[in-house]
Amino acid sequence: MSNIVEAKSLRKNYGSFTALDGVDLTIPKGAISGLIGPNGAGKTTTLKALIGLCDVDGELSVVGRDPRISRHKLMEDVCFIADVGILPKWLKVSHVIDYVEAVHPRFDRKKAEKFLSTTDIPANKRIKDLSKGMVTQLHLALVMAIEVQLLVLDEPTLGLDIIYRKEFYDRLLNDFYDGNRTIIISTHQVEEIETLLSHLVFINKGKIVLDSSMSDLSDIYTEVLVDADKLEQADALQPIYVRKLLGKNSYTFESVPREQLKMLGELHTPSVADLFVAKLKEEKHG
Amino acid sequence: MDKFAVLQFYALLKREVLEHRNIFIGAPVVVALLLLVATIWVAMQIDQSQLAEGLLFVSVLFDGLSPFDMAPFIMLLAIPFYLTLYVCSVIYLINTLYQDRKEMSVLFWQSMPVSNLQTVLSKIVAIVLVAPIFYVLIIFAMYLIAMVWLTILGISNDVDLVGIGYLFLAAIASLVLIYISAVVTGLWLLPSVGWLLLFSAFAKKTPLLWAAGVLILVGFLEDFIFGTQFLANWVASQTSDPNQYLIFEFQSVFERVFNYDTLFGIVVGSILIAGAVFMRRFTD
Repeated sequence: MSNIVEAKSLRKNYGSFTALDGVDLTIPKGAISGLIGPNGAGKTTTLKALIGLCDVDGELSVVGRDPRISRHKLMEDVCFIADVGILPKWLKVSHVIDYVEAVHPRFDRKKAEKFLSTTDIPANKRIKDLSKGMVTQLHLALVMAIEVQLLVLDEPTLGLDIIYRKEFYDRLLNDFYDGNRTIIISTHQVEEIETLLSHLVFINKGKIVLDSSMSDLSDIYTEVLVDADKLEQADALQPIYVRKLLGKNSYTFESVPREQLKMLGELHTPSVADLFVAKLKEEKHG
Repeated sequence: MDKFAVLQFYALLKREVLEHRNIFIGAPVVVALLLLVATIWVAMQIDQSQLAEGLLFVSVLFDGLSPFDMAPFIMLLAIPFYLTLYVCSVIYLINTLYQDRKEMSVLFWQSMPVSNLQTVLSKIVAIVLVAPIFYVLIIFAMYLIAMVWLTILGISNDVDLVGIGYLFLAAIASLVLIYISAVVTGLWLLPSVGWLLLFSAFAKKTPLLWAAGVLILVGFLEDFIFGTQFLANWVASQTSDPNQYLIFEFQSVFERVFNYDTLFGIVVGSILIAGAVFMRRFTD
């Protein structure tokens, strides 16, 4: 199984609102994949569909299973952290650990306790008495102690301060990711995860607008700070996005050979954030 | 069933008790305390000689009698607990699946390798089989306290409580009958259990209003279209006869469970519970 996620023509409507409009998605095993999109783009619906938490039409296989048929079996191989503090507020920290230990066959209690011992989270406190950062740390401790193939993170650091956010991703990379496990992260804070990603997916209005490995991005997309006297030549090469940057003109091109572009000015690989804006503007303007 | 599956189900039941401590433990403890306080207060209002006579009467009443023959009388003391369990069960069943969605913890519960069937079954087992255990234990504790108090009263009033041992045995026997009554009532009311769970899993807001409203609407439509009141009569037969809720002798358990009405109810309840399991799939 080289792909951990294979989705074809996923569709989902909430009344008259189309959340997913024929999503095709392939995520290879071992990838750290970023699912990026504006609010209401269909990120959460996609992630929920992957773990069987919402019904969708279309073909879907996650870790070789159809999440719509065998969610509970699938969850032996998949973990999920959502954007909202979803740990039950009335539970004590020790109760959550007891519960996960009892229901998850691949949970290693010692690992979770070892992780928690490096935090300030007291075992006898209720979830409602913990800060949002602590709740996320606790959830991460639980997830990292489970031997799973796929981790799905939906805006996991939303509302956390910079220290917690940084620590979260450091822990994720150092203590969870081993090259074989796959991580799918949906976030608004693109800059924070840019360096972690091996795979990038942009979604907008329920459609995938980009699905590429990070290594391919630099081959496909080029940002050029075009010299003032070369603007006409640059326009002729049909950039997907143009903007003013510190008095210069920044052009983003798709699938135009670098050889052809280097005479226009200084070349860069666009950042994920810039590329995201470029692709969304391109969508908007057709 | 393998050992892990048993431990998993036990964890689901434990979760229910922890989450609904007030329903499983708090409510019956409050009832027990109120009953004890009320009894002690009444005893304090009675004249010493009358109290001594009363103690002697109660003690002698049970002397030498079979505990199970006398248990039905003691069971009447448990009626406040029975009513409490009934009300608490309605509150529990209508809120249990809805609350998970409301506070979004459903995403956590469903991120675990536990099926919706296991989750819904654990909720039914928790309220039908486990909750009565807590109630019976709390009633037992109340009886123990009452016995100690009676003994102290007897000694202090110089009354020979000759039959108090029998009274205690009758109380214990009544606990067995109370538990059986509660469980058999749970089976008898399985359609109500399923109906409440279905709307707990379905409603986005005010699940109790949905459950009551749809029931009334369906009954009204049946009357309007077919001119019959089958649903209304059936609901009335399910809920209005207090005899359905109490079992005073073991011999009647079999006929209470294995009769057409109960078995039909179990089938209807199972269909509604299957609907709740299906609806549980949808988290938003």
